[in-house]
Amino acid sequence: MINHHILTRWLVGYEAQRKRMLKRAPSGPLRDFLSVPFPTLNTRFEQIPFLAVDFETTGLDAVKDKLLSVGCVDLQHQQITLASCYHEVIHTQGSLEANNVTIHQITDDQKDQGKPLAEVVEQLLNRLAGKVMLVHFARIERQFLRQACLELYGMSPPLPIVDTLVVAKRNLDKRDVAYDPSELRLSALRAKYGLPEHYAHNALNDAIATAELLLAQVCDGGENLELQQLIL
Amino acid sequence: MDSALTEISEFIHMLPPMDLLPGNVIEQVVKEISISYVRRGQLLPPQGVTEETLYILRKGALSYVSATGELLGKFGEGDICSVFCQINTENIKVSADEDTLLYSINYQVFHQIIIEYPDVLAFFQQTSEQRLNKKMIQVNENAILNSSLLNSGIDKFYHSPVVTVTSTTSIQQAAILMTEKNFSCLVIADNDQPLGIVTDKDIRRRCVAQGIAADQPVSSIMTGDMATIDIKSTAYDALMMMTQKHIHHLPVTNNSQLIGMVTVTDLMNNEGENAVNITSIIHKAKTVSELVDISVMIPKLQIRMAKLGTTADHVGKSISAITMAFTIRLIEMAEKLLGPAPVAYAWLAAGSQARQEQFAHSDQDNALIISNDMQPQHSFWFKDLATFVSDGLAACGFIYCPGDVMATNPQWCQTQHKWQQYFSQWINSPDPKALMHCSTFFDLTTVYGDSRLLESVRETMLKTTQRSTLFIAHLSRNALNLRPPLGFFRDFVLIQDGENKATLDLKHNGIAPIVDLARIYALSEGIATVNTIERLQQAAGTKSLTKSSAANLIDAYEFLSMLRMVHQAKKLQLGQQPNNYLSPKEISKLEREHLKGAFKVIKTLQDSRKLAL
Repeated sequence: MINHHILTRWLVGYEAQRKRMLKRAPSGPLRDFLSVPFPTLNTRFEQIPFLAVDFETTGLDAVKDKLLSVGCVDLQHQQITLASCYHEVIHTQGSLEANNVTIHQITDDQKDQGKPLAEVVEQLLNRLAGKVMLVHFARIERQFLRQACLELYGMSPPLPIVDTLVVAKRNLDKRDVAYDPSELRLSALRAKYGLPEHYAHNALNDAIATAELLLAQVCDGGENLELQQLIL
Repeated sequence: MDSALTEISEFIHMLPPMDLLPGNVIEQVVKEISISYVRRGQLLPPQGVTEETLYILRKGALSYVSATGELLGKFGEGDICSVFCQINTENIKVSADEDTLLYSINYQVFHQIIIEYPDVLAFFQQTSEQRLNKKMIQVNENAILNSSLLNSGIDKFYHSPVVTVTSTTSIQQAAILMTEKNFSCLVIADNDQPLGIVTDKDIRRRCVAQGIAADQPVSSIMTGDMATIDIKSTAYDALMMMTQKHIHHLPVTNNSQLIGMVTVTDLMNNEGENAVNITSIIHKAKTVSELVDISVMIPKLQIRMAKLGTTADHVGKSISAITMAFTIRLIEMAEKLLGPAPVAYAWLAAGSQARQEQFAHSDQDNALIISNDMQPQHSFWFKDLATFVSDGLAACGFIYCPGDVMATNPQWCQTQHKWQQYFSQWINSPDPKALMHCSTFFDLTTVYGDSRLLESVRETMLKTTQRSTLFIAHLSRNALNLRPPLGFFRDFVLIQDGENKATLDLKHNGIAPIVDLARIYALSEGIATVNTIERLQQAAGTKSLTKSSAANLIDAYEFLSMLRMVHQAKKLQLGQQPNNYLSPKEISKLEREHLKGAFKVIKTLQDSRKLAL
């Protein structure tokens, strides 16, 4: 089971960290982001404002590799509103490796027409303010966003995150059955819940797919869930 | 647009009526979508939705039930649920049968987006009855474009003026006039009042062959009691009259004034390989085996007519006319073989042939009504006649009636008096067996012989049925045994108890219930006609049936008949036995919507009969 005490401290830590950082953050996108309080740990599921986020990158290393595109959509009151969709390709230096292009399908041409990193991160922080970031396999999004903020603003903000992979893993661990790690992939989990196949490796598409998966996961026996039971 | 939304757009764009919208409008629609997830057992609308909303099922299943808990239908993937587009006044409850991924759109916003597209807008604003009506108007308009006899007025065919002579003209003078004008017939009239008709054949058979002097008045060899047709009739009506009376010339009148003449050749020249032609060669056939050869053309004709987009009504009438011609020709052959009938009689068709709703490969339903002058020894003649004709029909592909409703069955080869008794017995003590006969014998028509025999029986029968509320109640209860399905769920037919079936029985779950209703209205209101559409048209506006309900039933009937016709034409073309079992996969999503509308019409009117009981 999840230890309430530790978790509570953790998030209080995030809120405390947000307030502390707000005092020294320069005015601009980061400060705006930090000025909105996060939802409290005992917020019930249907009241939690989520922003489902997905990044496409050139690799797994947030320092060496580049952020290629960002997709996000709101999940609030158990509704994914497509009007809130945001998807942007980022203009980065250098050319893309061919074997990577086959995965994310972003070409050099598209990338060159993209927006500067600062503009995209500003848009993202603007949408993310006061919300919980919803991702599948949090490592990429957390590290790349922190890295981008460090580069742009000299500090990286606290990020409350719900990870659908972890939600699935906890459910499986609770039942104490053996499983193959491939069962935790987004497409495999969606199939398990009878969700339609989606076109993967497009940041916005994966963000929507992740939000749909969370709705199915929470529906599956957790009406009275609170944020503290879901949070990473 | 982002490729993520492309996927959703493509999904939405496939679903009628959204397929009528251009891509950029679909994009606007998609931007307004909220995705939600409804758990099995939960009610709609999902939490957090309060406005008027349109739902599209991406995955899962919903069912909707009436305020009284009766299952009304189910939605599956790709179905559009418009229950909540307006304030839900009917108090319909919608709940998830399975975990369901749902796309929701605020209906007011959606309405604004599609406002420039009346066809799409109409889909959401019209009732299913209105949609079905629009569909049938379109079908019928197409049929008119491909029109033939049924839709052509007599005015396009007749010759004018008619050559008339007075009754005192000599036979020779008449013959000279016909030769001069190159006409095969003349009308005899005194003071513009037509008295009769004389043809080439009459001069040969009634004058020369009988040794009557050529200076005798033409009136001595004319056919009096002349059949005429009003100019407002269709060419098809003319064909039916010619077939029934076995004549080739038909004077045309306008307000009872003789204005022209139409001949069978005129009609034939209009259509190539068609019902008229087939009827005409049937008349010329000399042996049963010649008739058998002709009969193979019937399925081909049905395929051709279906392909041309002819209405099912026209096809039914054409096939019925051909069956009639076969029957008449066989009776003529039998009379030649057996000698003239000992007493007056009439050969009757029952069921679908009588209603003029027959399709190829249907079974024969027939009977004989004989003058009350019949003596016991005459029964042999009628038995021989019945055997010859029904064997001949069977050879031509009209299989013997499985229920033995045939003139060969002594029970259905009876005097006028006996038929009168039958009807009063069925009406006064409507036991299950009697009710079974009703669907056949309350739809009777004269094919050959003295039509007055049947008409006087019918007259008495209709007077009785109009008064007999008990009989009508029994008939109604019986008719309620055949209920239409609720609609479709995924690729299945959804029936009353919520179960699924792989195919739809178009005849028993769609067409027959309407035929039954039309019969009940006709018998309650004393309507003599037996054709279903005509019964409904004549019953419209009576206390049995409102005008709008009649119009809805006619639309439903025409739509179901059209689907059956197209389905059977497909089967016939593959060389298979035509049947009435339609798989939902055979028809488009839009056609399923129309079918659902047709089922609803039937159900509504069946329910109102139920209430009347």
